This record gives sequence, C-alpha cells and structure tokens, in this order.
Amino acid sequence: MARPAVILVGADKGGVGKTTVARTLIDYFGAHQTPTRAFDTESPRGTLKRFHPELTEVVDVTSVSDQMKIFDTLGSAEAKVTVIDVRAGLLSSTLQALSDIGFLESAKKGQITFAVFHILGPSIASLEEIAETARTVGDANYFLVKNFINNTTFFEWDPATYNSYFKKIKGAEEITIPKLNEMAYEQVEVASVPFVSFVGNKGTKGEAANYSFVLRGYVRHWLGNVWGEFDRVKLVDMVSPKMESNVRQVAG
Amino acid sequence: MSFRNSITIVASPRPRVGKTLLARLLTDFHSQEGRAVAAFDLNSGEHTLAQFLPERAARATIRDISGQMALFDRLVTDEDTTKVIDLGHESFESFFTVAHQIGFVEEARRHSLAVAILFMATPDQLSVEAYRNLRVRLAQATLAPVHNELLGPAQHRDKYLLGGGSVIVHLPVLAPGLRKHIDTPPFSFANLNMGSAIGIPLDGHIEVQRWLRRVYLEFRELDLRLLLADLQSSIRIRSQST
Repeated sequence: MARPAVILVGADKGGVGKTTVARTLIDYFGAHQTPTRAFDTESPRGTLKRFHPELTEVVDVTSVSDQMKIFDTLGSAEAKVTVIDVRAGLLSSTLQALSDIGFLESAKKGQITFAVFHILGPSIASLEEIAETARTVGDANYFLVKNFINNTTFFEWDPATYNSYFKKIKGAEEITIPKLNEMAYEQVEVASVPFVSFVGNKGTKGEAANYSFVLRGYVRHWLGNVWGEFDRVKLVDMVSPKMESNVRQVAG
Repeated sequence: MSFRNSITIVASPRPRVGKTLLARLLTDFHSQEGRAVAAFDLNSGEHTLAQFLPERAARATIRDISGQMALFDRLVTDEDTTKVIDLGHESFESFFTVAHQIGFVEEARRHSLAVAILFMATPDQLSVEAYRNLRVRLAQATLAPVHNELLGPAQHRDKYLLGGGSVIVHLPVLAPGLRKHIDTPPFSFANLNMGSAIGIPLDGHIEVQRWLRRVYLEFRELDLRLLLADLQSSIRIRSQST
C-alpha cells in the first residue's frame, strides 16, 4: 500500500492566507486524481470547510480525541493525502503534539510522508519563527511559502537577513504564491466554491454558474502559476512516489 | 466560423495608421450585410470610433478590472452579434496581455466565435515585433496584416512572415479631395446609399461608392479566408480523431 501523506499548512500569525494555500493544495491533488481529505482546525466554524465541504472535517487539534480522528485513520482512510489547515498560532504546538505522539518519529522512518507548508507573515518576527519551527520539523519536507495573493505590504524584510535564515534550514524549499486580482479573489469568496469550480464556471453543487469570464480567466491564470510552483517542488512525486521507484526498489 | 459570428480586432502599436477608419468601414460593412454589430472603442481623444458611429460603437476601457469585465464578458456572450474592436495604440499591449492571460480566444471558440486580428502592417520594428509576438501569444486567432495604401507602397511584405496562404488585406486610398467629406463625425458609410451625404458632389459620391466597393470586396475575401481556415482546422481535427 502507498504510504499516507500528511501536509500541515500553518503560520503563527492569522491573516497570511493559510486557508487559501490549503485550498490550492486540495485543488491540485484533485486535479492529479489523488484522493485527499482535509482537516480544518478553525473550530467551530472553518473557512476551509465552506469551500470544500465534502472533503473537510472541522477538528480541534489540541484535543486527544480529534488527534485520534486524524492520525489513527491515516492508514485506513481512503484518502492518501491529508491536508491540515492549522489555525493561527497553533503550528508550534501542533508540531509539539506530533512529536509527542511519535508521529514525527514515523515520518523519520519513512512510514509516513510528512510536509509542512509554513506561510510567512510580513513581519520580521516570522523569521525567528522559521528557525524555531524548522528545529521541530526535523526531517519533514519543509516549504516556506511567500504568499503575495493579497499583495500586502509584504517582504519589506531585507533580503540578506531573510537569506541568512533561509540558508540555515537544511532542505527547505521556497514557494511563491503570486498575486491574484482582488475582485477575482473576492468573487471566489462570495461563490464559496473551490478555485477549480470557479474556473469551470460551476456552483457549489456542480451546477452551471454565471461568473464573469474575465475573473475566471484571472483565477485560471493564477491557479496555473500556483500549481506551477507545486510542480516545481515535485509535490505529486512526494506524496505518491511513482511506480518506477517501486520497480527500482524491487530490482535493487 | 465566418464573419457572421466573429470578433474582429483592428490593432497596431502605433498611432495614426488608419485603425479607426478601418474599424468604421468594417462596422458599416457588417451593418450593410444585415448583421447586428456592436463596436468597441478603445481610444482616447477626438475623432474616435464612438464619435463616428454613436449608435453602434461604445467606448470601452481595460485600464481597470471592471472595464475589463464589461468588455471581455460582453465579447464572449451574445453570440448573434458581430463585434468590432478599435484598439487604440495606448491599449495595445495591455489588451493582448489580458486577452492572453484570461484565455480570451479559447473562450470565444467555445462560444463558436472566431477571433480575427486586422493588424496594420507598417515597416517599423515596433510593429513587426508586435506582430510576431501576437502570432505566438494568440496562436488560435486569425492574424491578418493590413496594408493601408495611404501610407505608401508596400515594401515590407517579407517582414510580415506570411505563411499558410495568408494574404495582406488592402485598404485602398480614397482620393485626397474626398477625405474631408468622410472625416467629420458622426459619419456612417451605410448612410451614403440613402443619398443623405450632403455636401458631396455627385462625381465625388460615385468615387466614394467605388472606393467602398473595393474595401468591401477585401472584407468579403477576408471572410472567405476565415471560413476556409476554420474548415481546414476542423478537417484537421477530424482526421486526427480518426
């Protein structure tokens, strides 16, 4: 059986676009026919659940029963990929919890594929956070995501400082989420559908919708760029190693 | 697909090369052929398409997103109306950038609308490069170079790589003395037939009509080429699928 993959999407600050990134990930795996489920930790009412109601369950990662719901089902769930949208401020404590239950240990042994998408905030404090998180993450696939989607007053940081931090983290990869036109973003929010449905002019139940062609075009273009970034870091290969590698293992 | 359901963009990165005149002629041509036509004016300043044809041409902008929505969303809907765009030189780059990004030509084709670009072929490097660029960026659109004979004899055919049987569309010259009669807005060539062209002497009137016939002949040939290109591509698709 293919080994399960867990992707944590988190940041220590709110409003940096975690959920947006989680949504693009779910769409991406959907487009690659990879069964995916998602957990939204913004209990009681999650934003992610609003966009992907069928795939998403709202949980409280700090409660043991919900931890069981997520991690005890990794092997048995139909979905191969589990995306967890970690609420603002809970990334460090979630990682701590994962370490306590021995999850990070199994990831290290290669029984589970584990990746962290760390969404960076605009302030310099995030840099301290990177170093700290990186220590806990250990051998996970660690992605630093610069989110330009809302083009906030972002990355006024001086590049030298940033790079000095970035280089300290072994194996970290950088992902850039480009800007999406505000009106296009807003219309997707209003429609409450996955980006892919918006592009395909479909409503919440798959019925034909009537979104602006221009806005759909912008979202398609933007989503293509985001997925291009995921392709670049070989996300699909990471969560579902191809047949060839199995063949090679057998042969070797 | 032919002119009956098409979107024609008259374009050049340069000002004062005859775009608006061509767009006026094309809009009137469609009207006289009995088609519903809507023209979009992407120019600033005086003597623009919207001033010449206030009933059929509306001003449009692509500077902001709401303008883009108003323009492009309208272009791909309302399939029974033929559309003409007079693309001012200052909007050239942004128009095609947006069109490329949002997949305009592909969307139009899904609505059975053919997109044709009438490109004013001038020998300057800017235009030649813009033309080559368009061939790549909007590969699915029919790109037809136009030679405005007013700008002198064509000596730049080889600069506009004409492949696959494509031909230059000619915009013939109207006799100098007659230009003043057609250059004060509002003015529609469609009205000429009804004898309402006040102020044009009879022999001049005949001359304008003769010129108009030559222009319309060019448009009809272009129409046939669009049709042919479409047939060829559908034959190609069919032979690929078998």
